[in-house]
Amino acid sequence: MRFIRTTAEKCWLVVVLVLLWWFTSAGSENVFFPPLATILETLWRDLANGLLIGYLGFSLGNLLLGLTFAIVIGVALGLLIGEIRWLREALDPFVNFARSVPQAALVPLIVGTFGLGPGPKIYTIAFACVFPILLNTIDGVRGIEPTIRRFGKVYRIPPARYFRRVVLPGALPQIFAGIRVALPIGITVMVVSELFAANRGVGFYILNSSSTFQMAQTWAGAVLVGIIGYAITLIFSRIERIPLRWYFTSGAMAK
Amino acid sequence: MTTFTIPITVPGAKSRGLSRRARLILSRLLVLVVLAGTWQLLYWSGALPEVAPDIGQIVTALAAVLLSAAFWVAVGQTLFGAFSGWGIAAVVGVVLGVAIGTNGFLSRSVGVVVEFGRSFPMLALMPVIVLVIGVNARMEILMVFLSCLWPILIQAIAGSRRQDQAVADTVAVFRISPLRRFWRVTVPGALPLISTGLRIAASISILVAVGVGVLSQTPGLGRQITMAQEASRWDVAFAYIIFAGLVGWALNSAIAAVESRALKWNRQEA
Repeated sequence: MRFIRTTAEKCWLVVVLVLLWWFTSAGSENVFFPPLATILETLWRDLANGLLIGYLGFSLGNLLLGLTFAIVIGVALGLLIGEIRWLREALDPFVNFARSVPQAALVPLIVGTFGLGPGPKIYTIAFACVFPILLNTIDGVRGIEPTIRRFGKVYRIPPARYFRRVVLPGALPQIFAGIRVALPIGITVMVVSELFAANRGVGFYILNSSSTFQMAQTWAGAVLVGIIGYAITLIFSRIERIPLRWYFTSGAMAK
Repeated sequence: MTTFTIPITVPGAKSRGLSRRARLILSRLLVLVVLAGTWQLLYWSGALPEVAPDIGQIVTALAAVLLSAAFWVAVGQTLFGAFSGWGIAAVVGVVLGVAIGTNGFLSRSVGVVVEFGRSFPMLALMPVIVLVIGVNARMEILMVFLSCLWPILIQAIAGSRRQDQAVADTVAVFRISPLRRFWRVTVPGALPLISTGLRIAASISILVAVGVGVLSQTPGLGRQITMAQEASRWDVAFAYIIFAGLVGWALNSAIAAVESRALKWNRQEA
């Protein structure tokens, strides 16, 4: 009973909003706001005939690769910079500057110059995603208790082992927080890079249908991007609980 | 303190008399030299694409752009779009957020919608909005507003929701009127989180304003970058990107300074 109540509480607003959209747009003659039924039909048609599935694969593949690069580079650099004080202090203004560069500003340069292929898009996504991960990793390393550090020193744990068994796990909750911040940024850059110039991908689908005034398709693309964004966030919040189980159960969250 | 403190080996810093500050500045300069040197080496080695400028060209372009009227106009246009959208989002987000956050039922109900809005890359909606209202400042402001609303809303909801049990009990015991409670308890309690939301949104506003310019040719920094790229002027594009970063950085530090001043009372917990 209680489960039903909380679920109802969580979902009624979504249902009401979708129904509102459905009925206000039903029979809409406005070219720019096609009926929701038409949008969903179009979405289903292009998903079913494989067009959008292929585009999705391209877009999400770029996102995944870009994110992987960002995680590897961000975590490795973050562990180093967080642990080595002079490096941290020397690099501080540069890191802060680089993360302030609007990610979309790089799209024309990288995508415009290197062409339509997946490579330039992956680089732009990686660059945009690396900073939240890097900064959070540094914070995570800084947050490790001094006592634990001293233990590492007293027991003369070799550096490689120290990084793997002490620093990395200690910073892990923050690292995941950084990845969570990076996800929507990555999705945005993925779409922007395809809206700028592409011949495949979900962003291309949106751009192509809007430039040929197929509004139902444009809306369908936007709805699809929204659903993907939300789904990825949900999936990630499930995945991150696995390596962080010790953290969630340790009560550190309660503080 | 740190386990792996590596002694600083900055050239010219051999004398122990050098102050910490001087050494810091020197090490930062060293980083700058290393970064520029690496770029220059890559340039000479031919690893960079043909249109890539060398350091001299970048420095020249930086000065040229800084002295050009077009740059300052573009900065003004981008900041105007970003600030307007951000300001509207701040008002709407805070009012809505506090209204939702102080109502238990509503704040439990909006979760999915707010999560969806936050994870939605608003720039994907731009082609639709461009077709509806065209390429102009209004469209840019609307895009910035749509993107800034969510972080502010989320922080405002979370801020007005969190309630210390002791405070709640005190309010109940002293029978403090709801209105007074709202202004003296809920609002001050929510302010730290709201100001974080405003800060996050401010950096988003610059990003979106530039992004809109890149994609739609709305006048501003983003458009200048696209135009420079199309003219194969990487040096100019670089200069604009660097200045766009500096604008974002300056904005961030300014807001952080205002925040730490206005919310001094909140620091006592830390």
